[in-house]
Amino acid sequence: MSETKSASLRLLEASEKISQGAEAKIYRTQLHDPVSLSESTTDGDRVLLLKHRFHKQYRHPSLDASLTKSRIAGEARALIKCLRSGVNVPGIRMVDATEGILGIEWIDGKSVRFLLGGGAEDDEEVIEDGDVPEGEDDEAEDEDLLKEYGVSEDALMNMIGTEIAKMHQADTIHGDLTTSNMMLRHPSSPKGLQLVLIDFGLAYMSTLVEDKAVDLYVLERAFSSTHPASEPLFAGVLKAYEKGVGKNWTAISRRLEDVRLRGRKRSMVG
Amino acid sequence: MQTFRYPHFPPELSTVHVALFNTVTNSADIRSRIIRASQLQGPDGDTERNALNFAFIDARLICSLLHLQTAIYQAVLAHAQRSLRTKTVHSEILWALNPTNNASIRRYGVSDTATSLIVVRISSPDLPDVQQLMTSVVSGTLSSLNQLPEITDWGTVKKYHKLNDEPALKAAAKNVTQERIVVNEIVTSTVAMKSVSS
Repeated sequence: MSETKSASLRLLEASEKISQGAEAKIYRTQLHDPVSLSESTTDGDRVLLLKHRFHKQYRHPSLDASLTKSRIAGEARALIKCLRSGVNVPGIRMVDATEGILGIEWIDGKSVRFLLGGGAEDDEEVIEDGDVPEGEDDEAEDEDLLKEYGVSEDALMNMIGTEIAKMHQADTIHGDLTTSNMMLRHPSSPKGLQLVLIDFGLAYMSTLVEDKAVDLYVLERAFSSTHPASEPLFAGVLKAYEKGVGKNWTAISRRLEDVRLRGRKRSMVG
Repeated sequence: MQTFRYPHFPPELSTVHVALFNTVTNSADIRSRIIRASQLQGPDGDTERNALNFAFIDARLICSLLHLQTAIYQAVLAHAQRSLRTKTVHSEILWALNPTNNASIRRYGVSDTATSLIVVRISSPDLPDVQQLMTSVVSGTLSSLNQLPEITDWGTVKKYHKLNDEPALKAAAKNVTQERIVVNEIVTSTVAMKSVSS
């Protein structure tokens, strides 16, 4: 072990890498190891997910450092805002802005994408439950997956709409709503069954109807591209969302119609 | 007393000793001793400062072991990166616990009337007899850290963190257990992100 390596990088070396994207690597780790086993602490509390926004070689070092730092800070602020607003999101466990590491609560559960039979996203899940079954009997298998959590597909859609509504009521825009960025917390965990929104790496604050409508539109597209016959599913999401945002629904739904016609990007003409 | 190990930190910061004392009778003494020690010059000052080289935390403001560990972790991390905002790693724990930017020692440190104290010592793995060092300063009953949530003054925690008007608490208001889970989560997360807040 070299002396120059920072403490957080050494922590990463001792952690299990579970996924890698273009922006960050994801690890699973444990902190706060007790020396004696006499008084055992709650084990679930010690498991963490680490998100490492690694150094990008293609950026100037000082620009890279300041971008990384502000993105870690931004993600942490979005999470705390959601927590205070009662949106189910992972709690924050450690922040090392210098190294670009965000440690968050480990969610014991499965992604909605997986539960709806959209398959594991290349490298996630699989570990525990083996391969996702494919073929005609998909539907029956999905029902079994959901049965373990004690929820119907309709109830799950309802939970999704409710959570997004709470988030939008707090003027937080997720920026990357997909079924992979939602997890169902296992009913046996201390906090019980919950739909948890994850990955706030692209989140930002906005009161604009446009931003909320686009957030919904992105999710609608994600549903239709990953899950067959998604229309009734997404309708269920919107129904719960409508209830959650109350009087704001009229403006948002009208704007959602517009966005569907033109797509996510607004025309800059005129 | 419980000891936790952080092997990825430099040796002199890799071991954390935590103890909870109940029915503490000498809080006022401890507080004045700390103040006096900070002003003492020469070798006597060093000896006294070494004897008091702990973080003393008012246990009523701590929600859970995880809450405490998170503050300790962020303090040790700051020390390892040479980016302490306070003078010592022990005072940095109090800084991390405080959701605002003033009065962290007055609120989270030892007050004259405190009867439950958490004592923390960050050290190398080979510091001997830490519990002995703690009990020679604090007169009280050494207790299990599992008792922490029972000591917590949830009303004051909510006030200091300005949680009373938050939607998260309103949603959980009917169920005390649920509300405490929510408060603990917000408070722990606030501590974890203190270094990048605002």
